[in-house]
Amino acid sequence: MDLTPNSDQSALQTATADWCRDNMPLDGARNRPEHLWRDLADMGWTGMTAPGMGLDHATEALVFAELGRELAPVGLLSTAVAARWIGGDARVALAIPHEKLTRVFDPQDCASALSIWGNCAGLLMLPASLDTETGLDLSAPYATIALELVPNPLDDPRAALHLQLLAAAYGVGVADAARDMAADYAKIREQFDRPIGWFQSLKHICADMAVRCEVARSQLYYAACALDAGGDDAAFHVAAAKRLADSSALDNGRANIQVHGGIGMTDEAVPHLCLKRAHLLSFIAPVDTKDLLESAA
Amino acid sequence: MEIGFNAEETRFREECREWLHANVPEEKRPLHAADALEFDKAWQRRLFDAGWAGINWPVEYGGRGLSIVQQVIWLEEYAQADAPWIGANFVGVNHGGPTLIMNASEEQKAYHLPRILKGDAIWCQGFSEPGAGSDLAGINTRGRIEGDALVVNGSKIWTSFAHVADWQELVLRTEEGSLRHKGLSWVICDMHAPGISISPIRKMSGQVEFAQVFYDDVRIPLENVVGGLGNGWRVAMSTLSFERGTGFIADQVKQSQEIDELISTARANGKIRDDRIAGELGQMRAEVAALRAMTYRNISTVIRTGQPGPESSVIRLFTSELGQRLERMGVLLMGSAALDFRYGDDNIVHDYLRGFAATIAGGTAQIQRDIIAERLLGLPKSR
Ligand SMILES: Cc1cc2nc3c(=O)[nH]c(=O)nc-3n(C[C@H](O)[C@H](O)[C@H](O)COP(=O)(O)OP(=O)(O)OC[C@H]3O[C@@H](n4cnc5c(N)ncnc54)[C@H](O)[C@@H]3O)c2cc1C
Repeated sequence: MDLTPNSDQSALQTATADWCRDNMPLDGARNRPEHLWRDLADMGWTGMTAPGMGLDHATEALVFAELGRELAPVGLLSTAVAARWIGGDARVALAIPHEKLTRVFDPQDCASALSIWGNCAGLLMLPASLDTETGLDLSAPYATIALELVPNPLDDPRAALHLQLLAAAYGVGVADAARDMAADYAKIREQFDRPIGWFQSLKHICADMAVRCEVARSQLYYAACALDAGGDDAAFHVAAAKRLADSSALDNGRANIQVHGGIGMTDEAVPHLCLKRAHLLSFIAPVDTKDLLESAA
Repeated sequence: MEIGFNAEETRFREECREWLHANVPEEKRPLHAADALEFDKAWQRRLFDAGWAGINWPVEYGGRGLSIVQQVIWLEEYAQADAPWIGANFVGVNHGGPTLIMNASEEQKAYHLPRILKGDAIWCQGFSEPGAGSDLAGINTRGRIEGDALVVNGSKIWTSFAHVADWQELVLRTEEGSLRHKGLSWVICDMHAPGISISPIRKMSGQVEFAQVFYDDVRIPLENVVGGLGNGWRVAMSTLSFERGTGFIADQVKQSQEIDELISTARANGKIRDDRIAGELGQMRAEVAALRAMTYRNISTVIRTGQPGPESSVIRLFTSELGQRLERMGVLLMGSAALDFRYGDDNIVHDYLRGFAATIAGGTAQIQRDIIAERLLGLPKSR
């Protein structure tokens, strides 16, 4: 048993974090450059889960948490899942079905979109041209289509768990980003002649953010290892990881705005980007309470 | 990263399980400290004789000298087997002993450590005072040096198991006029010494398990000072790091049993159909799983780097608050039957009332949040 990254994993984690900070910083999330996807592909992030790469879920979880921290495109999640379970290196959009509507995120240059219907991941062929708009999450352009096509389910039930795990990793990254933003601000912003982080009411908000991050990240690691080990309990552990990632990303997203005071709720400042991404993630491979109550732990 | 155990660890787990299965006492541990004393001592002796006391303590003091992972495995199996809480032996085994191993002289270790492991000597912790709880540096109990002894006057409070203890880890002010963290000493106090009087205090759960202790010219030999006169703060901090550390491994298994019981109760009485209750139960089941993951991560860090890091306070805070939420849910699911609780009942209401200690004892939740914010996130110190 060892739930800390080994040296190869740490190196990859650091390299990912460094690249993301330099090339895809969170504060630019609402206006990603045209060439971002090509850069991501060049770095190997889009193809790292493909068969033959031999990458385990534990390492993936570490990398995707770093990508998620800087609000990487959500299309990376669906592309990674498609790469592992279908093969190929095609870019695949991410679909969120809702009654008779399906929202397709990051659809540029995509022939298909991946989503979860029931407990199963499936692929949906996309119409040739789609007009995108920007919604709540300013970093995730999407198109709305009427759901007429029946999705093609993927054979392997593990594909749905894979998407859930990677989305959980993104959520952990968002929770981390919000915590760091809040703590950094609490150290420099002064009121009453001292940094606001000196005051316990703020200090304790920040401490709770740190606790949520530790909880969600620990379960993410455990879930990734459980998926690698292939036991009966993997579905539960992945669901638990997703639930905790969702709640920590949302709660930290809210707390971060409070810590920033008035500026926290301006469009110009960035705390809202974390909160909005957290809301989007909560709809990607969402957890049914039944999965938490019924499956083997 | 991986969650499996190697062959030796798996064999050890089976050994633990078999022994516990054959040896866990059938009768329940009595609720009050004084009634439980004989029970606690006999159980500790049985553990010691069979080689299960002090799994990772040094062999020369009666321990097994095994790895920290084996210690974790033992504690997991211990909780899984519903083995009794070690009760009166808690302080000696969980923080008095480890503090001595780290800070005491050879004579002190050779005398006290085997007695602790065998359950022959019960220890208590004399840190808190009426005027010094969260603010431990506000200690006012004094020890005046007279020849080869300290003459002690003052009072300690909330001392768990004081009225059944043989020895005490006592922190007092040994330097006249010293302030705050300076001039304190950590000493081994004989609880049977003349001048000590003890008044037991009843908890809101009905138990009599802690007490106020008064010291009236109590003579403690200078050779009982641990870690040197005036170094009490440093030694006390190592005691607290042990107190806030290990206990939580067993809690994690206990809480996983609790959440599964709560879910079956909610199914049986139909309350699971309430979406809010189902949602909260699901969230808590995820959190209980995360607690194990967090504990494993913390232990992996200790093995890799040799020290636990400030994340220990995260585990401590999260465990105590999660435990209280589980207990609260238990009472909620009982409905008005909770009103029938009487002192002496050993049930979920009792656990709920007793569980208020979790966010007070050993440093309150507020103090833990300060530690997390200051040491983990680097926010400015308020105190
Ligand atoms: C069941 C139980 C067993 C115990 N056993 C022992 C024992 O064996 N030996 C021993 O020495 N002690 C023991 N204690 C004492 C325990 O360590 C203290 O109760 C604890 O440290 C809190 O101190 P206090 O009770 O004086 O509360 P106070 O320090 O007066 O705190 C009152 C409230 O104020 C808050 N507060 C205080 N200071 C701050 C601050 N700076 N910032 C924010 N909030 C603050 C606290 O969080 C708390 O909510 C035990 C306590 C309990 C409940």
